Amino acid sequence: MSAGSGARGAAAEGDVAISIAGVDHAFNPGQANEVVALRGIDLQVAPGGFVSLIGPSGCGKSTLLRLIADLISPTAGSVTVNGKPAHQARLDQDYGMAFQQAGLFDWRTVARNVELPLELRGWDRRRRRERSRELLELVRLAEFADHRPWELSGGMQQRVAIARALAVHPPILLMDEPFGALDEMTREHMQDELVRICSQTATTVVFVTHSIPEAVFLSHQVVVMSARPGRITRIIEVDLGERTLESRQDPAFFGCITEVRDALRGRAPSLTEAGADER
Amino acid sequence: MSVVAVPRQRRRLRLGVSLPPVIVAIGALIGWELVVEIFNIQRFLLPKPSAIWLSLTGDWRTIATAAQKTGWVAISGLTVGVAAALAAAMLVTRFRRLASGVTTMASALAATPIVALAPVYFKWFGQVGPTAKQAVVVSVVLFPVFAATARGLLQIDPVHAELMRSYAAGEWRLLREVRVPNATPFFLTSLKVAASLSVIAAIVSEYFGGEQGTLGGIITQSAGLSRYDRAWAAVAAACALGLALYAFTNLLERLALRWHPALRAVR
Repeated sequence: MSAGSGARGAAAEGDVAISIAGVDHAFNPGQANEVVALRGIDLQVAPGGFVSLIGPSGCGKSTLLRLIADLISPTAGSVTVNGKPAHQARLDQDYGMAFQQAGLFDWRTVARNVELPLELRGWDRRRRRERSRELLELVRLAEFADHRPWELSGGMQQRVAIARALAVHPPILLMDEPFGALDEMTREHMQDELVRICSQTATTVVFVTHSIPEAVFLSHQVVVMSARPGRITRIIEVDLGERTLESRQDPAFFGCITEVRDALRGRAPSLTEAGADER
Repeated sequence: MSVVAVPRQRRRLRLGVSLPPVIVAIGALIGWELVVEIFNIQRFLLPKPSAIWLSLTGDWRTIATAAQKTGWVAISGLTVGVAAALAAAMLVTRFRRLASGVTTMASALAATPIVALAPVYFKWFGQVGPTAKQAVVVSVVLFPVFAATARGLLQIDPVHAELMRSYAAGEWRLLREVRVPNATPFFLTSLKVAASLSVIAAIVSEYFGGEQGTLGGIITQSAGLSRYDRAWAAVAAACALGLALYAFTNLLERLALRWHPALRAVR
């Protein structure tokens, strides 16, 4: 692994967007049907970093994301988000969230979907309008502001969901397989868009995915997890520089893909690591 | 980037949609008239539409007054029943532990035939005045509206629930922004059923007594006096009343659900 690329990875204490320390999580703890989903998770995400969680089904990666979001609470350990306990971070809306289903509200127009978190924060109508226009321009859907969500394609709906997640200028974006239900073409397009949006907004992202190329293309770090009970088996640094169309053809891109795949199969780092070291 | 096309030519369609049923209805009436005429069916078995029409226009004032009384029982009972059902549904949503108890009670109420309730209600609330009959309507309307609305309020998209939680939205905002809009189509569907049920319940309860000069009263009385054309005229008025209520709820649905994907083609 390239030690030199740790500018974002090895952040100093206090310069951390998300910090997870000694976290265990069990469903139905203490009962006969107890399921240990996560064990001994330690993870630090630097501000502006893009971290993907990848692992087999049921490895607890979505659970880990929900712990960060304070949608559930850990059985043990602590989760610190934006310098405060996860619970407080949620109350302060320090993060935006997007799911595999866009989860738009059919009874609201596209613009009013984006405005919902702002309404909940008490923004007045004029400011909301302004902000939603800005965001819809960012995701290139400005002309669909007054449409209903069901009039849009799946990829467009997902972009609206991302715009909504960014509405309150959250420093952190949590994404749970947001492109999982999209076709390959749309998916790559959405990845390009996300890279562009992140570089424009300097948002910290934690991204759950099943797709190795997706994880590698998007991330600064790929966190590889093992099946139940979920543990972090490896953290792979990805240093592709600025993502462009060519990044997908870059030998370093393929090198990282192999590295992640090996880690997922529980194999020791293979010969490709020598190549990675040259970077 | 494909956008689902929303047809803009709805107005032209409207005439094409409403014309066929009208033609069918007129055809059916003519057929009825002819069948009675040709096969010489006894008028106490089935009077001709023309005879029913004559009775309806001849006794117009009586039947209109009766329709008003029955309509009042149905509409007031429907209103109270729906209000109570909505209140119960909200209560069950707020205090979810109540859900099973209240639902069981409502199911028991739904399984009780009004035929069994009506005489008892007349004892409770008296023969005079509409109260007993309104109580029958309320009992009949309560369950379908409660069950459907409670379901719509409780069965929200888990993604929506997590999203609202991530916005740190409280139970009240969740109710307003997610549960109520989600329950609206459920509620309106049940309201349509309830509207028809309310007219049926009002008329059936009128069979059991109470004031004379109601649609149910005219039907039993006329049948007793072998004035079948008059009985059928009252049935026609009841039918019109039911249709009017149904049309009203339908209109309400279209107005309230303009956002709904299922209504995009018929809007």
